Amino acid sequence: MEIGPIWRAMMRNKTAYVLIALQIAVTMAIMVNAFAIIQERTRLIDRPSGIDEDNIFYLSSVGFAPDFDSRASITADLEMLRNLPGVVDAVATNTVPLQGGGWSSGLQTTPGADVDGTGSAIYFVDEHGVDTFGVDLVAGRNFTPTDIEWHESDSNGWPPTGIISRAAAETLFPDEDMSAVVGKTIYVNNDQPVRVIGIVNRLQAAWKSWDGVERSMLVPMYRLSSSTRYVIRTEPGERDQLMPRIEEMLAAANTDRIIRSITTMTETRARSYVEDSSMIKLLVFVVGLLTAVTGLGIVGLASFNVARRTRQIGTRRALGASKRAILRYFLLENFLVSSVGILFGACLAIGLNIWMVQTFELMPVSWYIIPTAMIALWMIGQLAVFGPARRASLVPPAVATRAV
Amino acid sequence: MLQMHKVSKIYRTDSVETHALREFSLTVSDGEFVSVTGPSGSGKTTFLNIAGLLEEFSQGTYELDGRDVSRLSDNERSQVRNEKIGFIFQSFNLIPELDIYDNVDVPLRYRGMKAAERRERIMRVIDLVGLGSRLHHLPSQLSGGQQQRVAIARALAGQPRFLLADEPTGNLDSAMAGSVLDLLSEINEAGTTIIMVTHERTLARRAQRNIMVSDGRVSTGASNLHVATAANA
Amino acid sequence: MFRYYLKLGVLSLRKNPVLSGLMVAAIAVGIGACMTMVNIQYVMGGNPIPHRSDLLYHVQLDGWDPNEPAQEPDEPPDQVTWLDGSALLSAGEARRQVLSYRTARVMQPNDPEIRPFQVEARATTADFFPMFDVPFLHGQGWDKSVDDSRQQVVVLGKEINDRIFGGENSVGRTVVMNGDTFRVTGIIDNWNPVPRFYDITNNPFTDPEEVFFPLGVAVNKEISSFGNTNCWKPISDDGWQAFLNSECVWLQFWVELHGDAEVRDYQAYIDAYSESQKALGRFPRPLNNRLNNVMEWMADQEVVQDDVQVLLGLGFLFLLVCLLNTIGLLLAKILRRTGDISLRRALGASRRAIFSQYIVEAGMIGITGGAVGVALTWLGLRGIEILYGEFDFIANLVRMDWVIVLSAVLLAIVAALAAALYPTWRACLIHPASQLKTL
Repeated sequence: MEIGPIWRAMMRNKTAYVLIALQIAVTMAIMVNAFAIIQERTRLIDRPSGIDEDNIFYLSSVGFAPDFDSRASITADLEMLRNLPGVVDAVATNTVPLQGGGWSSGLQTTPGADVDGTGSAIYFVDEHGVDTFGVDLVAGRNFTPTDIEWHESDSNGWPPTGIISRAAAETLFPDEDMSAVVGKTIYVNNDQPVRVIGIVNRLQAAWKSWDGVERSMLVPMYRLSSSTRYVIRTEPGERDQLMPRIEEMLAAANTDRIIRSITTMTETRARSYVEDSSMIKLLVFVVGLLTAVTGLGIVGLASFNVARRTRQIGTRRALGASKRAILRYFLLENFLVSSVGILFGACLAIGLNIWMVQTFELMPVSWYIIPTAMIALWMIGQLAVFGPARRASLVPPAVATRAV
Repeated sequence: MLQMHKVSKIYRTDSVETHALREFSLTVSDGEFVSVTGPSGSGKTTFLNIAGLLEEFSQGTYELDGRDVSRLSDNERSQVRNEKIGFIFQSFNLIPELDIYDNVDVPLRYRGMKAAERRERIMRVIDLVGLGSRLHHLPSQLSGGQQQRVAIARALAGQPRFLLADEPTGNLDSAMAGSVLDLLSEINEAGTTIIMVTHERTLARRAQRNIMVSDGRVSTGASNLHVATAANA
Repeated sequence: MFRYYLKLGVLSLRKNPVLSGLMVAAIAVGIGACMTMVNIQYVMGGNPIPHRSDLLYHVQLDGWDPNEPAQEPDEPPDQVTWLDGSALLSAGEARRQVLSYRTARVMQPNDPEIRPFQVEARATTADFFPMFDVPFLHGQGWDKSVDDSRQQVVVLGKEINDRIFGGENSVGRTVVMNGDTFRVTGIIDNWNPVPRFYDITNNPFTDPEEVFFPLGVAVNKEISSFGNTNCWKPISDDGWQAFLNSECVWLQFWVELHGDAEVRDYQAYIDAYSESQKALGRFPRPLNNRLNNVMEWMADQEVVQDDVQVLLGLGFLFLLVCLLNTIGLLLAKILRRTGDISLRRALGASRRAIFSQYIVEAGMIGITGGAVGVALTWLGLRGIEILYGEFDFIANLVRMDWVIVLSAVLLAIVAALAAALYPTWRACLIHPASQLKTL
């Protein structure tokens, strides 16, 4: 209703308004792109690893005596662990999802050195692997004790059966039904055949940023080296009390080795995603601080404007403006500045996003973030200007007749 | 038109009570041109503020155009100011960021008038004060006399029942002051009631009646202009 | 005159404490946000060995899979195979060369009270210590002849020496690792190059290993790598020897070269080496060998993470917003004092004098903002440290040095002056006396 004169009045004194609009625009650009990154990281963090993270912990047993017998140690340790009350199951393996270190091999559907393999994480397990990790077998069967082999760490032998993750199955056999993949033969190390006997719904690799993170294979063997990793799944609520007990028991059972790196999956997840979760927190903080700075800027300039225009406000009141009309004037003025800033900011945000997508291989921003940020900034502007605007509305009309 | 009966206004600070108006009574009839004079601190400005509904008062009654306006809410007083009173200020009080057209438009906007009617009225009053060729000049580009003419146009645009002029020539040289006073006389002759507050008794001569204010009251025996000016001369 | 402006500045800042406070706060917050990120970027991308970084060259040989490069686009592998590493090492064509890999050992202290514990270890050749300028507290590294004779010697880090020997000079004494006895030849003083340039394949931001022992001993004892091992070709046979003869890359190879001529000669030498391997049926890819000095190598491996660059960009944008804020507030302040300025002009102040007065005032805001900004930078870094919690590598990135402190203050002053320029210019345009009557 009063936009015309308000706009024309603003154009007579552009600089201050241009500064605020620019500030809002840059804030908007930062806000939108920060939200885009936050959204992407949240999506990453929220990916399930496929295993029963809440109840799993793991540790390493490192034999240091020159004549350390890994096979005897593994057999005895697993026997003890599996019979412990509160333990659901345990397995000797090489790594766990999100851990950061592990083994990967190329899988291929035809043998040959010139075939591009599909990289997949390898977990060496026995018939307790599926149960210990708590992964869902969606097709085929689990390993039986007769499938399991023992190999030295520098051996090239490879068992003839394997269980693969659904993602690995879909990449290797894009046109086949899951149940039809069971029984197929794939090849590792170019030409060693492996028959797929089962498929698990989900089991992530140990590297969270790898693009093949969802592809993995369970291999039925013990790989003998001085260092073995035990993964232990407990009954719900038993984990924390079992951890120190198991550590003590294993250390006492065999003094030719040390027990180290006893870690829960909860810690592993936190550590694995610490950069992403810290990035999210940092960005939230930066956006919050930025919003505060911009908000204070609006408050500061609006206060100044109100102080400078006291006489004018009094005159308007004398000429018949109600308190509400004065309040509305300043809110509307802020709305106009904000709108210019926000519209310019939207262009800036999209430009910055395109550049970031190209430079840092980020996901493009979701469309709805832009209107959300717009509304948020409009509201912040109105909120920031409300105080000064209210003070303006309280200027008494008699100011108009005050002697100069 | 305007009837004040025993209006009192007291300003209080922590330690001091100032009686700005003491049982001030005044009646102004339709179509009159009244000047209010008095020395500094006599209560002129307080009278003006109360007459213009810019301030509330402690005691007494005030009737404007047949309506008791003594105890109106802030909103109602805004509305009365907007519709019935036209203000002319000593320092013009034009809004510096707005051009002449938009300045005159200000009170009409608060009345919520249709654009076409506003335009028609604005053009008419600006023509009336002889500034039709300066529509889109800013106040700073005009002389003092021209600025005061814009202020008069702004006061007239709302077609008020009466004009309240506060030292309308206080910031003008005598030639400009004369032309502004001529304009006010014309407006008065066309039927608008005018109350002009001034401390210059010579200006008061242009009015039909002079009220002397001193110490917050209408000073007795000075209510006849011709007596007062004769005595002065 | 300068002192007069200083006095005026102080008066003016004290007259509007809220407005002045807002301006100082805006600059400080902007500087704090920006410098926190600059600091991390600066440490991440810093030169870990400034006086020698131009002399140390990382060697890459491309003997990878004929069907695909080790890394897109056509990058050679970041480590070397045992076959190539040991061949280049024994050829000794450079002034110095070092071949090493990361592993771990179980330390068995003589004191039965201390349980055996695992230590990070590096198996390396003798030139590691002089080439990378490792500072010694006691003793030194081992002689080159030890590399060949495979004597079981060890260099300990300061912390591990404190732990086992209570910080005594343990040179000449022995430690037992995985059942083998090693004689101590040296104790390293505090040494923590960030990034840990000599092995950035295995996390460039962890601390150096705690124990160093000869590569020959490690290979002889079949001690496997704890670092990355990458193979493009299946290992032909069982056993350690088959692994050593494989096309798996798992060692870091560095050479020391002085001057362009030596670099050119060495490049020619490794290219010739590749050709000789091609003749033997290895190296199926086109010739693609690389020599990168320390800083080139870190840039090549993108040691500074994308996240840090994104945050750095955000930091600068943040500073921009804070500056826009300050410009607005300064402008408001100056416009409010139009009367004062025109009075001064009327009393004979030149434009230059008005300019100086306000620039001095802005400079004071800048210095104060910068000082507070340095404090906020420190707080920001502590905040990041807390955010990353126990994940220790961050501790190496949140150190602050005087370069950062000075840059922060400098940036704050430059920022405040830049912000002050426009409002001050506006102040200079105010006409003498023009504003006096509407004061």
